[in-house]
Amino acid sequence: MKNGKDFEVKEFERKTRRKVFHIAFGLVTTIVVGLLFWKLHMLILPITVGALLAFLFRPVKERFKVPWLHHELQVLCSFACIGLVLFFAFNNVRTHIPDEKQKLELKVRLKYKLNEKYQQVVNAKAADGQKTLLGPLIAKEAGPVMDQINHFLDLNQDEQELFLKYRAGYKNEPPIEDKFFEYFIANRTTSTYTPVEHDPALGQPAVAQASTATPAKVKKDGHKELTIWMLAPLIFIFLGFDNGQLRRYFIGLVPNRYFELSLTVMDMLDDAIGKYLRGTLMECFLVGLTLTVGMILLGIPISVAVAIGVVSGLVNAIPFLGTVIGLIIGLGYALIAENVTPLIPGLNPDDLAIYVIVLVGIAHLLDNVVFQPFVLGSAVNVHPLVVMVAIISGSLMMGLWGMLFAIPTVVVVKTAVETLFKELKDYRII
Amino acid sequence: MSMRKVVADKLLWETLKRWKRSSPETDRLQFLQSVPFFNELTNWQLKSVSEIIFERSYDANELIFEEGQPGAAWFLIMHGKVSVEIYREKYTARLATLEKGAFFGEMALLDESPRSASARALEPTRTLALYRNDLNRLIEKDPQTACQIYRALARIVGDRLRSTNELVQNETEKVAA
Repeated sequence: MKNGKDFEVKEFERKTRRKVFHIAFGLVTTIVVGLLFWKLHMLILPITVGALLAFLFRPVKERFKVPWLHHELQVLCSFACIGLVLFFAFNNVRTHIPDEKQKLELKVRLKYKLNEKYQQVVNAKAADGQKTLLGPLIAKEAGPVMDQINHFLDLNQDEQELFLKYRAGYKNEPPIEDKFFEYFIANRTTSTYTPVEHDPALGQPAVAQASTATPAKVKKDGHKELTIWMLAPLIFIFLGFDNGQLRRYFIGLVPNRYFELSLTVMDMLDDAIGKYLRGTLMECFLVGLTLTVGMILLGIPISVAVAIGVVSGLVNAIPFLGTVIGLIIGLGYALIAENVTPLIPGLNPDDLAIYVIVLVGIAHLLDNVVFQPFVLGSAVNVHPLVVMVAIISGSLMMGLWGMLFAIPTVVVVKTAVETLFKELKDYRII
Repeated sequence: MSMRKVVADKLLWETLKRWKRSSPETDRLQFLQSVPFFNELTNWQLKSVSEIIFERSYDANELIFEEGQPGAAWFLIMHGKVSVEIYREKYTARLATLEKGAFFGEMALLDESPRSASARALEPTRTLALYRNDLNRLIEKDPQTACQIYRALARIVGDRLRSTNELVQNETEKVAA
């Protein structure tokens, strides 16, 4: 009898000790994780990107599941397949990436054409030959923006010398065409559309202060950034080799009482994120494809149409802003395009910009009416207001990456909270 | 080759084999092989089942699951004793006491219906747990294995239904007499 009581007392003490240990351990872990999070916050993005890529890659890995083949070999096979696809894709894309000479030509052409179109719009005349009232209004609003674009597109001294070398025939390349040289000369005389404001404190033009970083610092930062981003493929590879061990490890840490609950919550979360991410990827692909096909029909060269389609498709992952960015890219090209012959009969090549606006509109409409309900139908629904707030908050915290990851984060948090509360109630824990 | 070297090699291999034999994964595989529920599965199939199974340890008197909770996993006793009970306002009825090699909570593999009884460890117990959705996913990855597990499950559920029918029949006859 006494032994039984002793055992009960010892058990009670052990349980108290265990509780104290758990609380202390939880506190220490929270502090350490918080400290690491604060100190290593720059690693969050590469880790997230690597983890998300591994998550998206999982179905491909599952395809190679052969019962008699060792797991590591299966993963290596799937990596080899992805590597091959990427190698051919990269090789294909590389041929379309402009080289040094083409980049110079593009910059010169872009600056010339943009200024030409800007002048046309600002100096547009009505039917009676009088200047419209709209011109000065546009000039007032768009002038500073045009100045910034011109500043960005200006060739620096080295680039100008290189351009002239290529004009004369450099590195056995054919000389730059006459029309680009004419654009180059014309660009040199492009004036600013707004007077340059001087900073009274420094007596320096405001624009000149835009970049204070020295080349050495930029190089060092670039190296640091590269080192940090090396983490993404590493995370991708390690998670690719994971055969459920990570999940089993985390589930192993969960107290018995919450074992089935945690399995259900993790599974629902995994399902929701998977559906959302794969759905978004498919939606982006469909939007990109629509834009690519549309642009090819408008007579834009295939390589350019594919490039615009890919970029617009990728940025389509950012709700609202994706379409705007796609429109800007498409419109930017439409404004500088030359010798375009639309494949659709009856279209006027001079109105390419209008057709691009219509095309982006159609793609956006298709996305909202067909692609989203079809592809993302069963995925998590997020209120538009939450989407807006999340995107703005994301952009304030992490810029473009923040905007890109804002919605997936909202989806994860929303699903986690909803599922957790539902399951906690079902399991009669709360 | 000298006799001494041969003996040393043999010793090395024996040690390596013993070390391999005693790993938790091998222990789990050996245990699964000994369970009649899995007797139709080959070693490869057992390995893929072992990859999706969770090991859980319970203290004496600790609840494994409660009656009325949504069922999500099936449990197989690796070591220890488990009591299957139902709690009512005035009494607690022990439906069965299960030991090593026995399993419980099998209905959770079929649907999300609430647990019909509670399971409590009577002594320190180690179990293997198979989560329903992991088995569902196994249908896509390894349909043959999943099919064999479901067939074994159907056989067990059928047996239990048959014995319940017999019990009900006996009780009805007793009442009628």
